[in-house]
Amino acid sequence: MTKRTIRRRVLSGTAAAAVLTLGLAACSGGGSSTVTAAPEAPDELSGTIQFWHFFTDREADVIQSVVDDFESQHPGVTVEVSAGQDDQKMRQAIAAGQPIDVGLSYSTDQVGTLCSSGDFVDLAPFIERDGVDLGQIPETVQSYTQFDGVRCTLPALADVYGLYYNTDLLGAAGYTEPPRTLDELSDMAVDLTEYAEDGSITTLGFMPLLGYYENAESHWGPAADAQWLNEDGTSAIGSSPGWETLLEWQADLIEQLGGFEKLSEFQASLGQEFSAENDFQTGRVAMNLDGEYRTAFIADQAPDLNYGTAPFPVAAGSEDRYGAGYITGNIVGIGKGSTNPELAWAFIKYLTTDTQAQVALSNGLKNVPTMADALTDPGLEVSEQFQTFLDIFEDPNSQTTPPSRIGPEYQTIFGTHTQKWQSGEVADLTSMLDQVDQEIDAAVQLQAG
Amino acid sequence: MAAAPVRPGAGRSPSVAGQPATEGATAHLSRSRRRRRELVALAFLAPALLGMLVFFVFPLVMTVYYSFTAFDLSNPPRFNGLANWRYLFTGDPLIGTAAMNTLWFVAIMVPVRIVGALAVAWMLTRARRASGLLRTVYYLPALIPPVASTIAFVFVLNPGTGPVNQLLEAVGIDPPGWFTDPAWSKPALALLGLWVLGDVMVIMLASLLDVPTEQYEAAELDGANGWQRFVYVTIPHMAPILLFALITGVIGALRYFTEPAVASATAQGRAAVGAGTSTLLGWPGNSTLTYGQLLYSKAFGANLLGYGSAMAVLLFVVTAALMAVLLRRSRAFTPEVAS
Amino acid sequence: MTGRRRSALAFVADHATFLALAILFLAPLVFIALTSLMSADQAGTAFAWPTQWHPENFAAVFDKLPLLKYFGNSLIYATLATAFMLISSVPAAYALARIQFRGSNLLFLAVIAMMLLPPQVTSVPLYVMWTRLGLTGSLWPLILPNLLGDAFSIFLLRQFFLTIPKEYTEAARMDGCGELRTLLRVILPMARPGIAASSIFLFFASWNDYYGPLLYTSENESAWPVSYALAQLRTARSVDWNLTMAATLVAMVPVVLLFFLAQRVFIQGITLTGVKG
Repeated sequence: MTKRTIRRRVLSGTAAAAVLTLGLAACSGGGSSTVTAAPEAPDELSGTIQFWHFFTDREADVIQSVVDDFESQHPGVTVEVSAGQDDQKMRQAIAAGQPIDVGLSYSTDQVGTLCSSGDFVDLAPFIERDGVDLGQIPETVQSYTQFDGVRCTLPALADVYGLYYNTDLLGAAGYTEPPRTLDELSDMAVDLTEYAEDGSITTLGFMPLLGYYENAESHWGPAADAQWLNEDGTSAIGSSPGWETLLEWQADLIEQLGGFEKLSEFQASLGQEFSAENDFQTGRVAMNLDGEYRTAFIADQAPDLNYGTAPFPVAAGSEDRYGAGYITGNIVGIGKGSTNPELAWAFIKYLTTDTQAQVALSNGLKNVPTMADALTDPGLEVSEQFQTFLDIFEDPNSQTTPPSRIGPEYQTIFGTHTQKWQSGEVADLTSMLDQVDQEIDAAVQLQAG
Repeated sequence: MAAAPVRPGAGRSPSVAGQPATEGATAHLSRSRRRRRELVALAFLAPALLGMLVFFVFPLVMTVYYSFTAFDLSNPPRFNGLANWRYLFTGDPLIGTAAMNTLWFVAIMVPVRIVGALAVAWMLTRARRASGLLRTVYYLPALIPPVASTIAFVFVLNPGTGPVNQLLEAVGIDPPGWFTDPAWSKPALALLGLWVLGDVMVIMLASLLDVPTEQYEAAELDGANGWQRFVYVTIPHMAPILLFALITGVIGALRYFTEPAVASATAQGRAAVGAGTSTLLGWPGNSTLTYGQLLYSKAFGANLLGYGSAMAVLLFVVTAALMAVLLRRSRAFTPEVAS
Repeated sequence: MTGRRRSALAFVADHATFLALAILFLAPLVFIALTSLMSADQAGTAFAWPTQWHPENFAAVFDKLPLLKYFGNSLIYATLATAFMLISSVPAAYALARIQFRGSNLLFLAVIAMMLLPPQVTSVPLYVMWTRLGLTGSLWPLILPNLLGDAFSIFLLRQFFLTIPKEYTEAARMDGCGELRTLLRVILPMARPGIAASSIFLFFASWNDYYGPLLYTSENESAWPVSYALAQLRTARSVDWNLTMAATLVAMVPVVLLFFLAQRVFIQGITLTGVKG
């Protein structure tokens, strides 16, 4: 062996060792937290906490005003706010060990992972010790704040979806009431649709294509009591008759309105969802599924629009469920690296259970408060159209999409198939739904290891 | 610095390790010269080598490791053998589509951009006045942050109301749906790629202006016409830069992520800053779903980071092989300038 | 009088293709400019001509965002990254291009291989490393790696060095120059276009980098570069497109100016091998 070869071997050996060391050092992240509730709540709160949330610009200002209220109520307390942090950034930071005390996630997508990994700590000891009344929160909402028996989040504000309808367009066709069933929706949609000379659609009664604005399987599901997942996390889509009902209804309406191609053409020219050119706001579409926040956009961008809101129509056979809708929301929890968990908990309690805070957040962000007391508080700004969503929120039949270890992937998987279904590429609906089951289960299995 | 006189040929070392040079007397000299050269090269390369270790070998090793685990970023990774790999080759329903779409961009968008950049650069060498201004204008789109430029481009190509389609209709052509039509969405993205060819164009221009005029004059004297001068003088001289454009273009196409994600979201009516995963990927009809988008969606949307790592390793292996082939071929393509 | 008109026509005729191309290239940029002057309601709609002109959008952008501070951050990021890159990558590229040593081809392949890993996945272990080093919340995780070379730049510089005829380096060696002196005295002056090109590339890539700052600086507002700040003019659902486009244009002004000045330098800096046309 020449000196050169020896030197090379030593060099490469050192390099390998260095890499391994770095790897192990980096690898030793994760591990459970020791953060839990102290036996007694502290008399006085003090110190500093890091609060990460997703909002920016004027919405961040709304959050800041609530933070300021909290700080003024507890002198000696500082809340350092980092705005504009999305889920991925937050989880990556927590996983790398950054000491985030309170995290507010914009969606419920990651509740499954946050709770199962301990990234957000179990709040049960805090809730029990301080006697927080979870009964103030609807059961559906409670269900999306916990996973596998661990409640690691509390709900901050909610989004609720329902039907918006243009009263002028409906009135011109002789309708004074919005549709209550999917069949009625179809009939009215066909009636309200107008065509140009070349056959293309100029005004659409209701858009049946998924992927158009807020048309999503998750938003339609409650109309037919369609289920997503079983208790064990496997897919319940194939075994839930609601999905077949919904998809058959959709195919039928597509047909009646002129077919997939025609509707795609209409969709190609849609206005940006949150611009003043939103199809519903310009009257291009007479009825549309949307969330409670749309009332704020209409007030701002189309104040002259005459519209009403109502719960989304239900499928045949589910008439007793009318009044329900889809609910989702923001969730907030304590990061596992928190250095001041008691203060973090106090802040969370404030955000989620203090009526004034909830009212301020709702008025500022135009979302639905999640505490029953806040829903009826006289300070809450409620227009006639916004009230619909509060009612839907409290309806016991309203549903949400369950947390899962694979996040929203099960919805994404379903979406790839419904896209094919609505374009007419699928002949056998039942086997398509079985295929969806298989694919979701495979993904769940892959994550379970 | 060498004190001994340098003999022609003595500077070149035998390529086989450890073998002595030609004559006994000069063998010692050329070996020590070679060693000195190698030490200098090592010194010049030391920071890059360290960088390679930290920012390439380390993440690569970790990624390969993760590809054999179930990892959701928050819980520690759990070894799961070949499960990710099996899923990659047999289970994932979208992997084929994503791979084919990505290959489309590699095979079509990359050459189109290179040819376009070369053409524009060539034209610019003939510009007599305002060439600096024109250069800036052609480079400008490449300076716009990609999200903003993609959104602007999608709006300009809006099927109903965009100026391009309005112009086409006025001329009597039935315009395509561009980003809303599964058959046109990829070509539309290729057009976007052409629009931002400024970055490639600039280095081509630098290389074009570098060609020695004497060589052109010599060729002209030999009776070569314009096209022949281009093929036999210009192209060979630009070969290293063309290779660079080809390789970086292919790498960029294999990673293509932001523009298709933003274009797809904007065409669906949800123009947003930053490419999210909440809208339908690759809309319409998965036509613009790229490998990079699928990887991101699986790794961070579905929390299948282990699977995403397997996808990353596969991409790495395939493209490394492709690069090796391209570079070997390039040696034949550029005999006098290759190392 | 007639003389001037004729030359104007001649200019247009000569440069017809250029002008047509220029219009095509500028069209979407015009859209951006028009959007930046629209009202919030009209921005994001398909009607491209502002019904009312709102030049105060530009002032509003400066009101909402401390843009000067962010410009400073962008400048620090881009300048340091480029400077560090040149220090580390020029010698490395030269070694790969003009010094013959064993393993140089393999090393070159390795440099290219560095660019093949998708950044989304490789950022995961690197993010942990930077957190351990306590450097998150700053631009350092984005700047410092350039001290250890940048693969793209090494590649580009190597290719440019290859186009410099071997005779120059061989002559320098024959004159008794060591590699460092060859590099500094002989190669660098001739490689100005290549060095300028790779500097421009990295500078602008750093200036427009969104995902890097998103990952490493988003939690620390005082470290935001302009590219990240542009994305802050939004609510959870909708983006203020008029303001965002105005901010985009403002963010572009320094780099456009820089390019306009720099390209004269490197295009005009080719003296030794002659200028074509």
